Amino acid sequence: MFLCQAIQPCYIFLHSFPPILSFTLSKEQQSVANTQNKVVDVPDQTAISQKLPCTFSSSELLIYFLQQEKAANMKENVASATVFTLLLFLNTCLLNGQLPPGKPEIFKCRSPNKETFTCWWRPGTDGGLPTNYSLTYHREGETLMHECPDYITGGPNSCHFGKQYTSMWRTYIMMVNATNQMGSSFSDELYVDVTYIVQPDPPLELAVEVKQPEDRKPYLWIKWSPPTLIDLKTGWFTLLYEIRLKPEKAAEWEIHFAGQQTEFKILSLHPGQKYLVQVRCKPDHGYWSAWSPVTFIQIPSDFTMNDTTVWISVAVLSAVICLIIVWAVALKGYSMVTCIFPPVPGPKIKGFDAHLLEKGKSEELLSALGCQDFPPTSDYEDLLVEYLEVDDSEDQHLMSVHSKEHPSQGMKPTYLDPDTDSGRGSCDSPSLLSEKCEEPQANPSTFYDPEVIEKPENPETTHTWDPQCISMEGKIPYFHAGGSKCSTWPLPQPSQHNPRSSYHNITDVCELAVGPAGAPATLLNEAGKDALKSSQTIKSREEGKATQQREVESFHSETDQDTPWLLPQEKTPFGSAKPLDYVEIHKVNKDGALSLLPKQRENSGKPKKPGTPENSKEYAKVSGVMDNNILVLVPDPHAKNVACFEESAKEAPPSLEQNQAEKALANFTATSSKCRLQLGGLDYLDPACFTHSFH
Amino acid sequence: MNIKGSPWKGSLLLLLVSNLLLCHSVAPLPICPGGAARCQVTLGDLFDRAVVLSHYIHNLSSEMFSEFDKRYTHGRGFITKAINSCHTSSLATPEDKEQAQQINQKDFLSLIVSILRSWNEPLYHLVTEVRGMQEAPEAILSKAVEIEEQTKRLLEGMELIVSQVHPETKENEIYPVWSGLPSLQMADEESRLSAYYNLLHCLRRDSHKIDNYLKLLKCRIIHNNNC
Repeated sequence: MFLCQAIQPCYIFLHSFPPILSFTLSKEQQSVANTQNKVVDVPDQTAISQKLPCTFSSSELLIYFLQQEKAANMKENVASATVFTLLLFLNTCLLNGQLPPGKPEIFKCRSPNKETFTCWWRPGTDGGLPTNYSLTYHREGETLMHECPDYITGGPNSCHFGKQYTSMWRTYIMMVNATNQMGSSFSDELYVDVTYIVQPDPPLELAVEVKQPEDRKPYLWIKWSPPTLIDLKTGWFTLLYEIRLKPEKAAEWEIHFAGQQTEFKILSLHPGQKYLVQVRCKPDHGYWSAWSPVTFIQIPSDFTMNDTTVWISVAVLSAVICLIIVWAVALKGYSMVTCIFPPVPGPKIKGFDAHLLEKGKSEELLSALGCQDFPPTSDYEDLLVEYLEVDDSEDQHLMSVHSKEHPSQGMKPTYLDPDTDSGRGSCDSPSLLSEKCEEPQANPSTFYDPEVIEKPENPETTHTWDPQCISMEGKIPYFHAGGSKCSTWPLPQPSQHNPRSSYHNITDVCELAVGPAGAPATLLNEAGKDALKSSQTIKSREEGKATQQREVESFHSETDQDTPWLLPQEKTPFGSAKPLDYVEIHKVNKDGALSLLPKQRENSGKPKKPGTPENSKEYAKVSGVMDNNILVLVPDPHAKNVACFEESAKEAPPSLEQNQAEKALANFTATSSKCRLQLGGLDYLDPACFTHSFH
Repeated sequence: MNIKGSPWKGSLLLLLVSNLLLCHSVAPLPICPGGAARCQVTLGDLFDRAVVLSHYIHNLSSEMFSEFDKRYTHGRGFITKAINSCHTSSLATPEDKEQAQQINQKDFLSLIVSILRSWNEPLYHLVTEVRGMQEAPEAILSKAVEIEEQTKRLLEGMELIVSQVHPETKENEIYPVWSGLPSLQMADEESRLSAYYNLLHCLRRDSHKIDNYLKLLKCRIIHNNNC
């Protein structure tokens, strides 16, 4: 009896009884010999297995059996009969595709709403026979096996789990079994938790519309609705959306995240283009859905952006404004700059040899400058400063301002600037207005506002002289501070076109003192004047005249702080010989102001012998002091004053130090009564006397 | 001053009444000044904050699990041993929408609080053990620390919500106890990795549960099932 089994992969078992020892399988053109097979000795049976090359198919095999020699001939007939049976059997066994099914594989499980889920498998190789698939599963914590409740809803090769079969937060262990006639095979176990396989369907009803409200910018209005079967209302499911759009021809999509809202506005669009719009969604924890089908929208050509119009107009306006500013700056640049950054007055002395300064030989430098007895010692300065104490508040202010400057300038009076660069007005210049001023002002109380003096940025307003200060011979000049233009002031340097504030300083005085030889100016204060006086005494008679003049000036400054400064009529430029102008006191009005007349030009460039007073010197006698700061003058024809002056002048020259000033002052004080000279009806005052009285 | 005089009485009464009225008209503070048990933060704000925290905690847990799996246990079938390994499985938590809608609000809140409380200790030990590892993975450690911190805050917020919604609730301190510490400290690497895998797997699941429950409750309580 033969029993043949054909099992993959192409094994053939041959069971025979009585046992056979070997067999040969052959078919056309091939033959396999079993001479080396293992013989399995089964009691009463012989089972022989032989691996067939799998090309043996559908063709008949002829099995020749070699029976044991012991087998009798009588069994040959039986054997051949069984062979035929076997052959038939083999035929069916080795037919194409009739194999057990291949191993399936579950490749995907998805839940669209956390209430149901579906799993899909991939069948293995087909055994050629109709195969049944079944999915079996059990859940975490259960031992009972279940079978898939729904094979249809999900399509072929799927298993759909309905609501009642779906549990969250619980692992499903599932397996697919494929069976056919030949056998079955099982897939690997798959562990699935519905929590982590959530992927919704795409959103529905995507609507896109171009909206153009009247008073606002146009925009694209995109609206959609969530996919069906998702429960958002109870909060079981939470959806987040995302849209994307692009012009038809563009390569990249423009993606916008929309959160949980189901509508969206797009503002920046290209007019006249056709846009593609899509939307998708995802759960709070899970996978993104597929993109919805594309929706097309045509943007109208008049989809203007109002923004651009506004920006263009803004740009044009700002350009115009910039142009205007630039033009204004260009026109008035200098004045604006000086308004913002007033020029710092720097020491600049004409004829100042910087090289000498570098050498450090101050004596040479000073001598070059022509100023002797400079710099004054500190004691001298202190002494000079004393005279700055004044009673009147205004005067104090005036004087204090000057006093402030004096120390700084007094340090190196030789380096002071006789120029107008030092911030003084043109009326400051040594060239006094006396010749050029018209009638005296009725109110001499106007005086320089020191602040005005120190604002060089306003050159036009530094014409602080009255228009009346136009020089006219024979007229009494009145020197007023503040508020009047003095364009008739001859400027000390032709280069200086800006009149300076009317500010006296010693520099002017010094020049006068030095005389036509020129001298560096010193501060115009009592101290300076005194210094000049001392220096004057060294000089010639002409210089003495200058001293007188300055004395007058200082008297003015002292006696009546309201009185205008007496400016030297002419500022002596360094090194040049210009005649000095003197002023003569014409009269003193009730306010104590001195009215001055320009003196005749008597002085010449010739240096006079020092110590020789000019006969033309005139002095006025102070009859009294009013209000502590007003000197009442009386013409005093005493000639002693001349002598007095001469004395002081004589005594001054030997000393080049500040002590001279002290001596001079002392002398003046001693001879106060004599310090009134009168000459030719014109009155001069020796202010030194009165300064001391103030002191 | 005779207080007992009727004009004084009347004015005092008037003052008292006006004070009471003014007090009632004061709007509740938008922010709770720290530490008050009964605070006047609106319930909606409390729920919003709780949902934000729970969402954040689940994101962190998910990332932490993914990193751990990728690095140590991928493809080695640890999932098979993670079945039934969560200490919170003893709690009767709803597993689908219908069950969740059937449970009543008070029990639901207590359930959430229990789950949160039961995770205090495991999180603490997780941080300690990961920190004590040689070559402690920084990404995992930092996330564990953050999760521990945020879970504490969420628990506080939940207790506030409970005190507002159900002020009469007695403090019920019963919660599932975690006893997995010895397995975290085992010498055998395979067992130890399995213990960590289980812990992180359960954490990921429970944080998702809490997040989903809170979103359900928020829509139910604040928006009346009309989110």
